[in-house]
Amino acid sequence: MRRSASLLVSLSLLCFSAVGAEAQSKEPVKIGLTAAVSGGSAASGEAIKRGLEIAIAEINANGGVLNGRPLQLVVRDDEGQPAKGVTIARELVEREKVTAVFGGLHTPVALAQVAVWHELKTPYMGAWAAGTNITRNGQSPNYVFRVSANDDDADKFLTRYATDVLRKGKPGLLLENTSWGQSNETGLTKWLGEKGLKAVGVEKFNWGDPDMSPQLLRLKSAGADHVVLVANAPEGAQVVKSRAKIGWEIPMVSHWGISGGRFAELTGELSDGVAFLQTYSFFGKQNERGEYVLKALKDKYGVKGPEDVIAPVGTANAYDGLHLVALAIDQAGSTEGAKVRDALESLKAEYKGLIKTYRRPFTAAQHDALTDTDYIMVVWRAGKIVPLAAK
Amino acid sequence: MLVQLLVTGLALGSMYGLVALGYHITWATSRTMNFSQGHAVMVGAVVAWTLVVALGWPLPAGLLVTLAALAGFGALIERVAVRPFFRSASPAWLLSTIACGIIAENVAQLLFGKDARAFPSSLTQRPILVGGAGFYPQELLIPVVGLALMALVQLFYHRTPYGRQLKAVAWNAEAAGLMGINVPRAVMAAYALSTLLAGVAGVLLAPLLNVAPTMGTIIGLKAFAVAIIGGLGSAPGIVLAGLGYGVLEAVVAGYVSTGAREIVGFALVIAVLVARPWGLLGEPPARRV
Amino acid sequence: MARLGWAAVAVAALALPALTGNTYYLYLACSIGLLTIVTAGLNVLAGFTGQISLGHAGFYALGAYGAALAATRLGWPLWAAGAAGVLVAALVGAAVAAAALRVSGPYLAMVTIAFGIIVEHVLVEWVSVTGGPGGIFNIPKLPVGRTYWLIAAAAALALWLTANLRASAWGRALLAVKSSEVAAESLGLSAYFLRIVAFTISAAFAGLAGGLFALLNGYISPDSFTLQTSIVFLLALLFGGLGRLAGPLAGSVALTLLPEFLTGLADYRLILYGSLLLVSIYGLPAGVVGALAPRARPRRSADGAANGPGPDAAGGPRPTAAPAVIGSAPLLGVERLGVSFGGVVALAEVTLAVPSHGITAVIGPNGAGKTTLLNLITGYYRPGAGQIRFAGESIAGRPPYAVARLGVARTFQTAQAFDDLTVVENVMVGVAGARLGGLAGALLGMPGARRREREMRGVALTLLATLGLGARALEPATALPAGLQRWLEIARALATRPRLLLLDEPAAGLSPAEIEELDRRLTALREQGGPAIVLVEHHMELVMAVSDRVSVLDYGRVIAAGSPGAVRANPAVIEAYLGAPA
Repeated sequence: MRRSASLLVSLSLLCFSAVGAEAQSKEPVKIGLTAAVSGGSAASGEAIKRGLEIAIAEINANGGVLNGRPLQLVVRDDEGQPAKGVTIARELVEREKVTAVFGGLHTPVALAQVAVWHELKTPYMGAWAAGTNITRNGQSPNYVFRVSANDDDADKFLTRYATDVLRKGKPGLLLENTSWGQSNETGLTKWLGEKGLKAVGVEKFNWGDPDMSPQLLRLKSAGADHVVLVANAPEGAQVVKSRAKIGWEIPMVSHWGISGGRFAELTGELSDGVAFLQTYSFFGKQNERGEYVLKALKDKYGVKGPEDVIAPVGTANAYDGLHLVALAIDQAGSTEGAKVRDALESLKAEYKGLIKTYRRPFTAAQHDALTDTDYIMVVWRAGKIVPLAAK
Repeated sequence: MLVQLLVTGLALGSMYGLVALGYHITWATSRTMNFSQGHAVMVGAVVAWTLVVALGWPLPAGLLVTLAALAGFGALIERVAVRPFFRSASPAWLLSTIACGIIAENVAQLLFGKDARAFPSSLTQRPILVGGAGFYPQELLIPVVGLALMALVQLFYHRTPYGRQLKAVAWNAEAAGLMGINVPRAVMAAYALSTLLAGVAGVLLAPLLNVAPTMGTIIGLKAFAVAIIGGLGSAPGIVLAGLGYGVLEAVVAGYVSTGAREIVGFALVIAVLVARPWGLLGEPPARRV
Repeated sequence: MARLGWAAVAVAALALPALTGNTYYLYLACSIGLLTIVTAGLNVLAGFTGQISLGHAGFYALGAYGAALAATRLGWPLWAAGAAGVLVAALVGAAVAAAALRVSGPYLAMVTIAFGIIVEHVLVEWVSVTGGPGGIFNIPKLPVGRTYWLIAAAAALALWLTANLRASAWGRALLAVKSSEVAAESLGLSAYFLRIVAFTISAAFAGLAGGLFALLNGYISPDSFTLQTSIVFLLALLFGGLGRLAGPLAGSVALTLLPEFLTGLADYRLILYGSLLLVSIYGLPAGVVGALAPRARPRRSADGAANGPGPDAAGGPRPTAAPAVIGSAPLLGVERLGVSFGGVVALAEVTLAVPSHGITAVIGPNGAGKTTLLNLITGYYRPGAGQIRFAGESIAGRPPYAVARLGVARTFQTAQAFDDLTVVENVMVGVAGARLGGLAGALLGMPGARRREREMRGVALTLLATLGLGARALEPATALPAGLQRWLEIARALATRPRLLLLDEPAAGLSPAEIEELDRRLTALREQGGPAIVLVEHHMELVMAVSDRVSVLDYGRVIAAGSPGAVRANPAVIEAYLGAPA
């Protein structure tokens, strides 16, 4: 059954309960989520959860999967701790009997879990953590998939933007001191090298650091002509504020972390002109699914507008990822992990998604549904995200 | 660059000192302290944000209610997590205050939200640029208010009758009790004051640091380090240690690296304690044989 | 009862893999095991010596990284890699302890917190070795089922080792230091050294658990070794029951399973977790184990008699150390001793000679400096001026435990029994003194160590019997009334076979009948060739009855010395006592 073809994207939420009732009567197919929904990165987990819930409500309203079985979400809080993540991975599979699991923001958690997915033959769909070797993990068959950025591709994209569009050649790197920052240091160094360039300085900061002016001052004195930023919103905001404080007018190119969590509110007018990568933006004109998801966010979670979507990439990635998993379950005709995995790797249905139209998103060699050709460059203007012309 | 670092360091350092003074106050009166003191910083910022930013109250009214709420929060911690275990042999108060911190952080997440929010202040809109260095007016305000508050606390303890009573409890709770001082009430007052100071630090820092349920953890920890370096029993030691630690952090981050900052900072804590086991200006307790 | 409990745990641990192939349950059991190992070690530190660490995640990390690096970089076999992890943790633990244990209480908490944070940040920064924030992958790992057996065996080993330690001279020494550092040092124990030993053991245990953690997961990164982790370690121990042998296991089970029961609660999960913690701290002040099996409290005193010899079994006191003959020189010679505190002169020009036999009394009004004199002799205070010679050696300024090891024992004005030990164990601390035997033998419960235990117990019981405490030997020391605690303290001091015994107001608080008894015993000690005794006492009748010589202190000076009769007639003494010339 080609569910994607029959799917009416703009179906109103009111219809859900009526059609959903039929789907509820059969045994549900469980989907797990392991993400931080408490602590400092709680917003990321919340965003992913919203994306999954919206997609699940939509699919269930349309008859669920496997001829009428509803999807059911099981959320677990890994607190960003790898050991906790491993416990949760086993619990989701062994006790909750989930068919597939979605993952959160923390690369170390995702890396720690990789072995478990393979041992227990359960497909994993990354919705945020961009660490390159989460998907490129050397396992075959590979149970780890991702609808999110891949740092290696993201770094290629950012480097290309800085050198080809901005025509700058002296990058100063400002990275968070985590495995995500580390992953990007590797990627950026590699892609700058391809262009025959080298970072004039590499500076790091810790989560919750109050002031980034020392790092910026060092980059400034090293002669950087632009700053490549890898940070989440709170630290990104401190970077922008510190930049204003030392009075340094410098172009900033950022990875996508700053799109999560009210960057505009935290920085006010200071964020103007900061360019960054996105997989999806709820600002501007939306495709059909974009309209639908935004409406669902408003109706269900009291979101006021695009500026109030706290971590849009999490929601967008999870939403598309869930649709792909649902398609794979139908194609496999089973909830068995190995079969769903095979189906994901050879997905026949075309899925017109939120971020893009997915045609054969995964192959044995490519477990990232999104690559650098799917990213967009956007810029903050007066608290809104404005897409930049491609290239 | 040095000027820049000094301003940043002094601002943060004075806040470490203010929060650390809270550890000193409760330790002196009761030989216990709130291991979740950092969460009091957060509560101050979150309550002030809710009143002033979300509900749009005028700043003075918002601040007044915030201060009252903080004192109440401190009293509550004392009543719930400290008094039942006051002077008990086991460090149960350590566990119970940690438990209170876990509860406070997650209640805040539930009510306030999970993402950081801005606390706009007219003092953080435009930086003042001086030569190569720049700072926000708020950064200058913070150490001034911080030091003034610390001085006020000292005056309270040395010059007012009630402050003297609290000091008496610190000296010898049993004797103070015999002299008719209500010791449990004195301890509760110490907790209220301690929480109040930490919360004020939260309010002062909010415009610079943003408001989030997890914002206090690191400050609370570093303030603890400062209290220990300075000497838990010595208020002047703590104030000096706070400023020193803030400046040291900024200088190490500025001239070495951010990664080295925590390593150097905490290694220094160990070094100080090896050289002076009761803190820089602390006195060892008399050995009782 | 306790035995039944342990058997049930063992059966459950053995049966679990057969009952379920579910790797989630096995992994949880592994987590419980790892936490048990760490907390068992922490129990030696916090439960036995009373020192709290909030940095053991650092040792856990050292064990994990040590083992992981040895296995991946050096290609060592897994057992050798694990051993390397333990060794690294233990060595660093000893070094940290040497620096950290100069302080205690919140200061120690801070040093350990700082250590943990430094380790965490070094792991992040030292990318070339530790892999930085991304950590280390591809650590050779076994299937969960096999790792389970490994971890279960290690956890059992950890609990067994701590049980052996508790039952050994080392364990008693650690608990003695916790109850009263002052009294422990008076028996020749160095509190500092013992705490270092305890700290090192706990670091080694944490290192072992860390190595197994790396093996279980196959991947480690700094996120697993934060202050949060250290706090959980301590919480588990306190929750289970500090100082109780089963505490680590009970706390680990509770703190591993509790969050699992709450997983479905989403946003309310941690609020409930915190509240449950708080409620259980109220409800279980002595931890889970403390609630299930409260420590035996006195009430009955019949039990002891069956096991120990009756009050008269030994037929009188046994001679203590053979008195040394040192020519005509006094055993203890105090010359022109002086000390002042904060400008106030407490003692000045005090001279005192104590021969190797007989009882020398030191009397004087309150505040005359008598106890200060004892504290100077036994090393608790440093003299400002003058000399103290014991058996020909200068001992001024030596630490208390070093003075004690030379054969100087003492009691205290307020009796300082070791609260966590039984009556006989209190005395056994004295019997062993600084001779604790091999640590490995104690941990492993080797036959040699066990034999020594039996011997020491025999000696202690005999001594108690002679002092009339035989029937109460197996009761907790806290169960004794104040009068008997004094006897216990004297028995403990005598157990060290001292050449010199300093008694600080032994008659204070005793009934007239008890004082008579004291009189009889002191006389008996002297007549049976016991140690030389210095008696600081207010009770004039007793002093006059038993003493061979009397020195009188007033305002920190010796105002009279000589035979009891001569001193009694001395006008200066009468003035000092009556406040006016007679």
